[in-house]
Order: sequence, then structure tokens, then C-alpha cells
Amino acid sequence: MPEGEFLFVPYYTVNTLTGTKAARVVSDPVEAAEIIDRARNPLYILGPETITSEVGEKLLLEYVLEIVRANNILTCATAHVKKKMLEFGKRPDCVYDIIEIIHFLKMPDWQGVRGRGSHDLVLFTGVRCDLAERGLATLKHFAPHLKTFAVCRRGHPNADYTAPVIPRMEKWREYLEGIIRGLY
Amino acid sequence: MSKTEKFREKINGIIRAEEPWEAVGHTPLPLVTDLRNWDFRLMKTYRPFYAPFCDLCCLCNFGKCDLTLDRKGACGIDMATQQARMILISCLMGAAAHGAHGRHLIEHLIEKHGENHPLDLGDQVNVEAPIIRTVLGLKPKTLGDLRRAVEYVERELIHLVAATHTGQEGSNLDYESKAFHCGMLDHVALEACDIAQITGFNYPTSVVETPLVELGWGTIDRTKPVILLVGHNAAAANSMTDYLRRKNLLDKVELAGICCTALDTTRYNEGAKVVGPLAQQRFFLKTGIADVIVADEQCVLTDIPALAKETGAALIAWSDKICYGLDNVTEKETGEIVKMIAGEKKQVLVLDPDKAAQAAVEAALALAPTRKKTILTPEQAVEIAGRCRKKCEKCNQNCANLLPVGTAVSQAGEGNLEPLADLFRKCTGCGKCEAACDFNLPILKLMAAAAGAEKYKVRVGRGPIHDVEIRKVGSPIVLGTIPGVVLFAGCSNYPDVGDVAWMAEELARRKYIVCLSGCAAMAAGMYKDADGKTIYEKYPPSFDAGGVLNVGSCVSNAHVVGAAIKIANIFAALPGRANFELIADYILNRVGACAVVWGPYSQKALAIGTGAIRWGIPLLLGPHGAKYRRLFMSKKEYDDWTVIDGRTEQLVDTREPTPEHMAIVVETRERALPTMIKLCMRRNDTSPGRAIKLHQYISVYKEHLGTLPDDLQNFVRTERDVPLVYKKEVLAYLKAVGWQPKPALSLPTIIGTYETKVPVSATLR
Repeated sequence: MPEGEFLFVPYYTVNTLTGTKAARVVSDPVEAAEIIDRARNPLYILGPETITSEVGEKLLLEYVLEIVRANNILTCATAHVKKKMLEFGKRPDCVYDIIEIIHFLKMPDWQGVRGRGSHDLVLFTGVRCDLAERGLATLKHFAPHLKTFAVCRRGHPNADYTAPVIPRMEKWREYLEGIIRGLY
Repeated sequence: MSKTEKFREKINGIIRAEEPWEAVGHTPLPLVTDLRNWDFRLMKTYRPFYAPFCDLCCLCNFGKCDLTLDRKGACGIDMATQQARMILISCLMGAAAHGAHGRHLIEHLIEKHGENHPLDLGDQVNVEAPIIRTVLGLKPKTLGDLRRAVEYVERELIHLVAATHTGQEGSNLDYESKAFHCGMLDHVALEACDIAQITGFNYPTSVVETPLVELGWGTIDRTKPVILLVGHNAAAANSMTDYLRRKNLLDKVELAGICCTALDTTRYNEGAKVVGPLAQQRFFLKTGIADVIVADEQCVLTDIPALAKETGAALIAWSDKICYGLDNVTEKETGEIVKMIAGEKKQVLVLDPDKAAQAAVEAALALAPTRKKTILTPEQAVEIAGRCRKKCEKCNQNCANLLPVGTAVSQAGEGNLEPLADLFRKCTGCGKCEAACDFNLPILKLMAAAAGAEKYKVRVGRGPIHDVEIRKVGSPIVLGTIPGVVLFAGCSNYPDVGDVAWMAEELARRKYIVCLSGCAAMAAGMYKDADGKTIYEKYPPSFDAGGVLNVGSCVSNAHVVGAAIKIANIFAALPGRANFELIADYILNRVGACAVVWGPYSQKALAIGTGAIRWGIPLLLGPHGAKYRRLFMSKKEYDDWTVIDGRTEQLVDTREPTPEHMAIVVETRERALPTMIKLCMRRNDTSPGRAIKLHQYISVYKEHLGTLPDDLQNFVRTERDVPLVYKKEVLAYLKAVGWQPKPALSLPTIIGTYETKVPVSATLR
């Protein structure tokens, strides 16, 4: 999909549409880094695929932790991710399951992880795609006060921003490294 | 006589109110809104969480209407209300499936035995129908009384269906209350259905150690004629057993089943084989091992006619729910029907279970000698997989369980069948990969060939939990010294079929009472330890600490809710008759139980789960459960956890989120385990009981998440709650996070915290 394009919405939306709000595809990792950098109080949600999926010779988790370190982003370890994060020397800022943290994020007056106030950007990586899509749909409909960014090589239409579909592992690695470079 | 008095008199007649076994409580035969305050109280703590599956409402001709970004539909509906409406519609589908199943079986058995046929569940079961007693206020004595229960369900369902019409209900909370009502009705239907079949077919009851039967498609002898039963209604299957017995053919024909009909058939005929859960359906149908397929109702693939034609198997459908467009030959003689099936290769509809049974046996005998049942060998699988072009990934993109199908197939093409065999355990059998493959690779057949034909064991469904067992475990469960009762219920939309056995064993090892039913019961049997033993061979089948029980098919789920009710009614001597709120409040606050649907798929499972929540039993779902689009979660320590102390009738802020959620999805089995343990905590736990539960929580959390639980301070009320083994470590942690002691009550109740006719004093016994 070309850079900056949205999912197609037909002219006569009354009887044909399948939804009017879809993710903007962020194909350029530099732009992705800018979106993350602009956020005042971002939160990174880490799913279990970060600890099982390899990107080249490294775990996906290692790339995510680089992004986290680059911008000092607060983290939420879902499922059983916490143990592996500790092995990499990073203690998560909170531990919830994916649906639990989304339940909190829906509250506009929630003071956020570590009580630093509402989060304005929520990043997702490594959550089961079908489950992440349901969670992102929840935030799309019930949390208009925040933006979501799916840093997932399979793409997520229910997010505000999504990485493009990136089938080739090499391109995925380049995308992640591009974000990290952009943040430093 | 006023209208209300007339209505009351009518109800009294239905439930025989004059019978003095217990005083009639506040809500006999509750109407749609009679328990609304209870529901609203639950939802005050456990607020509905919606994960929309679709941005639109497509239900009427004003639209489609887009409901994103606070938009409303042409009728005025908003997104939350639309989600709740869809949930109610789904629950209605599920409850209707169970209710119609129950109605059919009850009528079938009344036809055979008469409506005055007594209900006899043996000498270990005196409280024969705890759900029907509590909801309706009726103590059923005969098959005819079970019909009264189903008629009540039918009456209520029509009102609920009406509420889903466009331009009706306008509140998501009221839709949820209606969904709770629907779930409760579902449990009435489940109980009526299973009691009817236990009584009418003489299924095991008042027996703890039911036999072990064979499981897995490797157990099927394909040199014999093979009849495959698919679905949830065992009427025809049991008639087949009768016919085979009469003809002395029981050892000469293989009766094998998929889903709950299989489990229910083994309750009648120990020689029957269980192929496996729903996920095995498409795999097995594609092997062509079955000579005759008999489809009844619920969870049956809708393309079986085409699948049967592919393999040359015969097909008989016999339920009015699934007619497949086939010719109705019910009025023809059995011999003529057999001729049509075996001679003319016609697929037929026979709306008479007895006739369908005879036709199936005779057709199998006639067809089997003419059929070649050759199964793909591993060598052939390697050769076929070699045709994969490796790059397209269409199979991956279409996998509903997000599995790396393409990688496994291409590796198989290079001679390594292991990844494909591994996939077989995780595959839910939807067949979308095959449909997407440009090269028409028979991917399911390849998986089956790679996995081989394993043989396992499953215990025959035992039905109700005995009153004697309840008396024995009531106290330790309520006090918390038996850490919990966990029910693994049906469906097979698993991340991995082995997860259920893994979780069940972890809990049994830790002295939880583990109950299983339906597809979950089968899945738990499909895993063997290093000694080749399944979980059913390793753990005792009693309802006691460390027991692993198969209660039976999907409809047998009622017996686990029934056990929770019996703890209140038998152990705590609370009057159950038409006393829903009193009993549900007891379960919510004192019975450490939770239900797990690790493979949530069907609307029936949603109805069962929603009903469990109204009874005060929390529900944990596997990752696919998010697609139900609604959960009930608290905000943990941020919520108000005030209850009434039943002894002083004063409000007390317990500050402990137990049970923490009433419906939650978790992503991995490693996370599911500590979540289940938390969901079994109750406000009533004694300090020794809470210490046992916390011991399990800490040990599991440390093992899988690496540290003490981050929320430990929420569940420690006094220092006496801290388990001895971890005392030093936990006290240091509590000090560091600024923990303060919390009140611990011996009689916590939420009755009195909302508007209800039930007095707080009723909780005191």
C-alpha cells in the first residue's frame, strides 16, 4: 500500500461502507520514529510473540527494548512476557494481560502507568494478531482520547497508525532498525 | 383476585408450591426483569468491556449504519448497546440450541417411557436438579416435570428474542441483564436435558469411577463397517447401540463419534469410540474411514454432504435443525431407505432417530465391503507436500489460528514431517488453508498423515456430583483449604490442544478439583506423559482435592454449577427453592470456583459462560474469546469493594478485588494458570485457606513470570494470610509497597448493597 494511504472508503457510505476509520499505514520508519518521539506520555504494550519470534539473529523483544530505551517509554508486559524482560535487564513498568490494560486505557481520567497521567500514544508489538485487533477496536471506539500504533509486520486496520504488511523478515528487521535509528 | 395474585397462583400451580420441601423463595419462575437489580449490582463492579467485531450495525433496512466515533444508528443505537445486543442474540442462539436439544430428548423419552417416568439419579444424589430447584422453585420428579422446566425456558426466550428487534431496548446494561437471564435459562435447559438422558437412557449416575474408553482416530478398526456420529444429540446413536445389541453385531460394527454425541454414546455403550473434539471433525471426515456419517445437531460442519461425497461415505441427517436440503425419506420403509443409501448412493434425511439408526447400521454393513479406506502414508505426504511453491504464504494468511502452515508444508516437502505433526495439535480444522491454496494441496490430509493415528483414553461422563461428596468438600472449599474448583468446558478453538491437559494437570497437582466437559474433556485426554498415561489414568475421578472428573457432554456442564449450588444448599443449608439471589451471592462470595473455556467458539459456550457469571462463577477465556466481543472486568484496586458483613449488617470496605474479574480473556496458558488461581479466591476465605491459595499463586507466578506477583498486596488481608514458605520474602515486599491490613469477614455478602427483596438476615444460617 502506498505511503500515507488509508483503507478504501466508498463515496456512498450509507449503505456500502464497512467502517469509516481505519489505520494510516506508516511505511517510513523515520516517520514512525517521529510519531513515537512526538508523544508526551507513550506506553508500549509487549505481547508474548516478542519472546518467541526471532528477527534475524535477535529476539523481537530485543528490538522493542531498544525502542523503549531510546525514548524512555513506559512498558506493560502482557501474558508471561515479564520473565524474559527481566532476563534482558528490563523490569516492566506494569504487568497486566492485554485486555486488562486496555480496560484501563479506556478511562480518560486514568492516571496511567506509574501515575504520570493519561497516555497519549499506545504502541503494540507481539500480541496475537486476532486478539490485538479486538483490543485496538476497543480503543478505537471507546478511547478517542489516545492514539494507537501497531508496530506489527502483519498490519492492524483498527489502530490509528500501523506498520505496513511486511512478509519478508529482512524488511521487518530494517523497519525496526529504522525506528531505532530515528529515535536516537 | 388481582392480576398479580392470579399470576402468582398460576406460578404456584406450575411449581406445586404446596409441596413443603422448602419454603418458596422470592423469585419463582423469574421473568426477564425479576433479577435485573442483581445483574446491575454485578455490573457495577464488573463493568462490561466491548471489543467490537464490526464497526457497523447491519440488522435493519435503515442502514447499514456506521457506529464509529460516537455515531449513532438511524434507530438511535450506539456502539456499546449494539455490541450488547449482538451478545444477547448470540446467547439466544446458544440457549435455543440447548433448549431445543433438551425439548427434543424429553419428548423422545416421554414417548418411550411416558411422562410419569420417575427421575432416579441413584442413591448418592438427593438434590436431583439444583438449578431447576433454585430458578423455578420446582422439585422435578418425572420426565413430565422436566418438560415444565423447558416450557419455562421457551416462554422467557420469546421475550428475549423480541428485545433484540430494531427499536426496542436502548441500554447496553439492560441488554446484558437480558443476556444474563438467557444464560441462566440455558443452565435450566442443560440440567433438564442431562437429567432426562441420564434417567431415560440409564447413563451412569451415583458412580464416581466410570470406565475409561478409547479416544483418538487410531482406535478405530477400519476393517469393520464404521459409523461416524457427529453432533450433540445421542438419541439415534443410542438406538443404534440397541439395534446392534439385538442383532448381536456390537463387536462387528464400529460406532465412533465426534463432539458430544460421542461422549454421550460412551455413557450408553462403553465399546463406542471417541474420535476427538470438534477440531478433529474435518480431519476425520477427509480420511474416508467412515462408511456412514450420521449427523444430528449442533457443531456439525455445514459442508458434510460435500465431504461425504468426496470420500464415498453415506450420509444420514436426522435432526430438523440440519436437513442439508436432502430428500425427507422418513415415511419410507427402512429397507427402502437402505437401498437408496447403499445402492443409489443418495444422501437422505430421516426425521426419526430409531429409523435413522437402523438404516445407518444396515447401510454400513452393505457399504463397508465395497469401500477402499486407504489413508495417506507419510511417504505420500512428503511427495505431495513437495508440490508447495513455498513463497505465496496464502495458507498462513488464511489460518484462523495464526499458524505457520506454509513453513510446515514446505519442510514436509523436504522430508521433515515434524512441523506438520506439531501443527496438527494446534490446528482447529477450519480448512481455510486448503481453500486458499492455489495448488490444491490437501493440507489437512498431510497434517493427519504426519501426525499418525494416536490412541488415548477418556473417562466416561459421570453426570451429577454426589450429595455425599458435597458434604465432604463443602467446608474445605468454602473455607479455602481446597484452593478451588475449576471447570474446563467445551469448544476446540485452542491455541494448542495440549494446553487443556497441561493446565488441568497443573491444577490437579496443586489439589484443585478439576472438572471437564465436552470437547475440553476430550482434549484433556489427547495428551500422554512420559509413561504413556493420560490425565484420566493418573488422577482420581472423585470430586475431591486433586480429582479430575469428566462430567459428560456440554449439557453436563449443569452439574458443576449444580455442585456450587449444592454447596450452598446442602453444606450451608441455605434454602435454594426459588432463591436465585441468595444462592448466587453465596457462590460469588464463598465458593472458590471458576470456569475456563480455553477454546471458545460456539454461541452455546457463550450462553453457558454468561449463565455461569450470573451464578457468581467467574469465566476465563482463551485468546479467541475476545471475538465474543464482551467481557466483564473490574478495575482491580481502583474499584469499590464494599460488601455487607452478614453478621453485623454493616457496610465494610474489604479493599480486596475478589473475584477480580467475572469474564476475562488471557493470551497464553502460562498466564491463564495464575489467573485461574486468582479467580478462585473469595472474600470468605479463612486465613489458612487464603494462605494456601496465595501459596499456589506465588509459586505459579514465580515459575512463569519470574518474581513475586505485582498485585500480591491486593490479596493479602492480614499477615496470617501470608504462606509460610514465602513469609520473609512476602513481608519484605509488602513493606516496600506500603501495604496496610484489610478486614477479613466470615460472612461477606453483596445482598443489602442493592435494592432487593432478599433480607441480609437470609444469608445468616
